[in-house]
Amino acid sequence: MMKDRSRLYVAARAIIVAMALIAVLVPFLYLFLNSVKIEREFRSIPLRIIPSVVTLQYYADIFGRGGQLGSYLLNSIIVTLVVVVVSVFTGALAAFGLAKLRRMYRFIALAVYLILLVRFYPKVVMLIPYFILMRDLHLLDTLAAVIIAHSSIGIPFVVWLMIGFYEEIPIELEESAMLDGCDVWRRFTRVIFPVVLPGIATAAIMTAVLSWNEFLIASSVVSINAKTLPVLVSGYISDKGINWGPMSATSVVIIVPMFVFVLFTQKYLIRGLTFGAVKG
Amino acid sequence: MRRRIVRHEAGALLLFPLPAVIIILVAQAFPVFYSLTMSFRDWALASSLTPGRFVGLANYVKAFHDTVFLHAVAVSLQFCVAATLVEVVLGFILAYFTVGESRVLRVARTILILPMVIAPVANGTIWRMILNPQYGLLNAILSTFGARGPDWLGNPVLALVSVIMIDIWQWTPYAMVIFCAGLSLIPLELYDAAQVDGASRIRVLRSIVIPYLVPVIFIVLLFRIVDTFLVIDSIYTTTFGGPGFSTNVVTLYIYWQALRYFNISFGSALSWLISILTLATAFTLMRAQRRLQSSIWGVTS
Repeated sequence: MMKDRSRLYVAARAIIVAMALIAVLVPFLYLFLNSVKIEREFRSIPLRIIPSVVTLQYYADIFGRGGQLGSYLLNSIIVTLVVVVVSVFTGALAAFGLAKLRRMYRFIALAVYLILLVRFYPKVVMLIPYFILMRDLHLLDTLAAVIIAHSSIGIPFVVWLMIGFYEEIPIELEESAMLDGCDVWRRFTRVIFPVVLPGIATAAIMTAVLSWNEFLIASSVVSINAKTLPVLVSGYISDKGINWGPMSATSVVIIVPMFVFVLFTQKYLIRGLTFGAVKG
Repeated sequence: MRRRIVRHEAGALLLFPLPAVIIILVAQAFPVFYSLTMSFRDWALASSLTPGRFVGLANYVKAFHDTVFLHAVAVSLQFCVAATLVEVVLGFILAYFTVGESRVLRVARTILILPMVIAPVANGTIWRMILNPQYGLLNAILSTFGARGPDWLGNPVLALVSVIMIDIWQWTPYAMVIFCAGLSLIPLELYDAAQVDGASRIRVLRSIVIPYLVPVIFIVLLFRIVDTFLVIDSIYTTTFGGPGFSTNVVTLYIYWQALRYFNISFGSALSWLISILTLATAFTLMRAQRRLQSSIWGVTS
């Protein structure tokens, strides 16, 4: 950016960044505080924003016998892990074949476009047929139903991302492996795959965020056993009264893993988000 | 030679996409085309367990006479336009002021992207608490200034404003991230040259930064327009379409028709209508981008 740092610019920047930070942090802080606030203080007037005593009762409740949050948390973890593995593996594999063939065959180029199209139509289109399909396959209310659906959304993204990564690899790298007598599969696993590991990491992180947070499809195929955390959180909407303690605690449980995740993988996450938008 | 080798291996390479293609065929292509066929029939799961007779375009005709649906489209359009505009402008401002490699700016950026990675349903619950008329944070803050805060989610106009605000809070960081990446790619020489010419900051912004960012702006517009038009999660957890139909966005209405009333055929027709609308918008934007870009850079392609 410009090297000129006029005082006005520096001051404006300080104010704007500070305001943005407050706008982002206050809602999160409020949520965390509400998750440890005792019942009575939700209704005190004037409002008690900072709790006078800290209680972990809601966390105990939601994880305890009545809440069963543990099993839903486990559902979410299983779904996310399997979706990441399936999407990244099949997507990276597919992208390799597609990247090589799409300039040779029209129908492959078309297939790539069709796969990418998945990003642009509303997912409500598939809800009913997918529900019926899962019913007929007796997969309703199973983690498999959620995993297959999430993978089918994750894969197009991985394909798109990985085609970009493969096309940046100099062809000489593969050619030398070819001269050593490596067949296509061995070239992929031994030569290409290690080179695109940063791309794989980006793909894995993006898919994990997608699957962990996805609500619409999950909510349409699960009812009791296979609930994931977003489906569980959405259940609080039916509460007429103020059930804020458990609601906040559950939201914290769904949010915190993503916070930690972002702090450690920010570089890859940003690469995934900006990929295609800006040519690096 | 290269081509021949690829052709020689084409058989093996064709196997690579197979697992991925199968998953997409099962979970996307099949449902999408099934829903297309269902949209031409008459099937409500409440009255029959199997698809009914062929009715042609009747469901589509019905959609255009369904005032609730038309209203939902209007609500979605308002949501889409307002949220996208604010997100793009705010996102640009934030990017403009946070781009850079200093430690403080980097930490600030990390914090600013947090809203984007949390589940939209959790985002909804946070804001439902903040906007609560009696015990919410926002009205508590307003009351310290002596103002009596309104019932944000209970008033038809304010409810729509509120859900738009919630979307802005969550997705402005997306615009910021993309713009930051775009800004950091502008060649420094351009700034130096502008400085030598004594150009003001505003002038640099208008003549260098914004033209340079045009393709990036289009990408942000494309994704935000599509996603805001199809929003559902955060509305599902805050207003659930209410009060009345004031925040009943189109995706939520289809969700109701399909998964609450099980009007399978009608729901399918509605979802195809908005798919066509969304895809047409996306294509138009992509074409406009190509044209605008070539007119700015004088590239003929």
